[in-house]
Amino acid sequence: MSPRSWLAFVVVALAVAPLVLPSFFLQLLTEIAIVGLFATAFNLLMGFGGMVSFGHAAYFALGAYTAALLVKRVGVPLLAALPAAPLVAAAGALLFGFFIVRLSHTYFAMLSLAFAQIVFTVIFKWKALTGGDDGLLDVWPPSLLKSPAAYYYFTLIIVGLCILALHAIVDSPFGYALKAVRENPRRARYIGIDVRRHQLAAFVISGAFSGVAGGLFAFYNGSVFPDFAYFTKSFEPLVVALLGGVQSFFGPLAGAFGFKILEWMISRQWPVYWPLFLGAIVVVVIVVLPSGFVGLVGGRRWRRRPAAKA
Amino acid sequence: MAPPASRQGLVLQTCALSKHFGGVQAVNGVDLAVPPGDLRAIIGPNGAGKTTLFNLITGDIAHDTGHIYFAGEEVSGLPPQRLCRRGLGRTFQITSIFRRLTALENVQTAFLSYHRRHFNILVPARRLYRDEALGLLERVGLREQATKPSGILAHGDQRRLELAIALASAPRLLLLDEPTAGMAPRERHEIMALVARIAGDTGLTVVFTEHDMDVVFAVAQRITVLHQGTVLAEGAPAEVRANGEVQRVYLGQAR
Repeated sequence: MSPRSWLAFVVVALAVAPLVLPSFFLQLLTEIAIVGLFATAFNLLMGFGGMVSFGHAAYFALGAYTAALLVKRVGVPLLAALPAAPLVAAAGALLFGFFIVRLSHTYFAMLSLAFAQIVFTVIFKWKALTGGDDGLLDVWPPSLLKSPAAYYYFTLIIVGLCILALHAIVDSPFGYALKAVRENPRRARYIGIDVRRHQLAAFVISGAFSGVAGGLFAFYNGSVFPDFAYFTKSFEPLVVALLGGVQSFFGPLAGAFGFKILEWMISRQWPVYWPLFLGAIVVVVIVVLPSGFVGLVGGRRWRRRPAAKA
Repeated sequence: MAPPASRQGLVLQTCALSKHFGGVQAVNGVDLAVPPGDLRAIIGPNGAGKTTLFNLITGDIAHDTGHIYFAGEEVSGLPPQRLCRRGLGRTFQITSIFRRLTALENVQTAFLSYHRRHFNILVPARRLYRDEALGLLERVGLREQATKPSGILAHGDQRRLELAIALASAPRLLLLDEPTAGMAPRERHEIMALVARIAGDTGLTVVFTEHDMDVVFAVAQRITVLHQGTVLAEGAPAEVRANGEVQRVYLGQAR
């Protein structure tokens, strides 16, 4: 099937899902959509910008807590709280990213992790505002969106719009320049691109969309907890993107689907052993399917090339 | 700061430019003056400081002392992206392209940046400056390769692509660091003839380093000889060839 017919098939299947699936699976699909958005936003940096963040949970958590705090502490409705999530996440990404993009490779990853741990600690310790370890409970959407099917459609629309926006960004002049920066920062400078500024812009965009995912997840979950910002959460988009395929725009979405379905199937049987299976799956995918799940379904196939030094 | 009055009108000028790495004086008080339209070769044995001189001029590394003037303005300390905006283009000794982008996308991206649209997220880039990029690829002989990932192109074609990328920024001055490195002799003459043709057509000023003396003496209008970080000689090709000291330290051993 061509990419276009795949897309049409997926859209139709998602649209009719509530007619045939019990609410448990609608919730699973809702979560897949949210994780897919988080991983796609993350992959704007990793796949298209060549920047590996080990701390993306920070922006997910900033979005989740922003939405939850506005609803719980200020009393604004969901539809007003949700747009604030990406704004605060973007502000956090701008502040932290300013320092992070000054480094590269391992140092970039470690500094992003360090900032995320700071966010985690602030959330964990600032009990008066965030509830600390107890989190914030009863963060439910209004009654109109409370049913699994309603929140499923709501999430699908928001995630769909965000995915379209990210796709447009990848194909835009900004996206071309971002890929150029990934391929060869030095050459990029010599065609007039301010590499750090470009990386920072991508970082902020990625953080903003991660914030949307966090905000959606807060209402899906009905509560928010400090471990949304913990480093284990930061590895989720990394693993999901790797499973799905970082070279492809839709790889992280496919990865989110595979990841969550496998997690459900395996932890249903052997609850304790999911991490063990996950580790094995990641190893197999990286060795056998370096282009991820999307490498299985035709379209554009990517081979792993010998590391090309420019 | 303006350059010394006697030197106004030059495209590129360096005054007493120096750079050392540890105990090695890589570039030592180099005075270089390149007028508009010049096709200048910088030659010298390995380690003479040619690439370091280029790196200083383009802001890749900071110099210790001295001044750099580009088009009549001091540009000492400006980073490469700012110099590119002012019209300074460059290619590298080791091919520097965007390997996983197609040849067309390589040149398109350079055009997008030149036209300052590289922060635009609202329109698809695919069609933007496509014709201009294809025209430039045609010019360097890569029209047929336009949609291939540039990383799989032949070495010589990658060198041509890098030239096209540099040209997309409409430079007034182009620094080519061994543009023919790794090429067969016939191809070397081809690409340098191409550079000379483009320079002649557009009034572009070119400064290049080169080890192949046949190529140098075939295309260069003037030649600067570097030796141990200093300018040993400078002049028209015939003068340089006749210079006894140049023959002794460089030409003699190169042949």
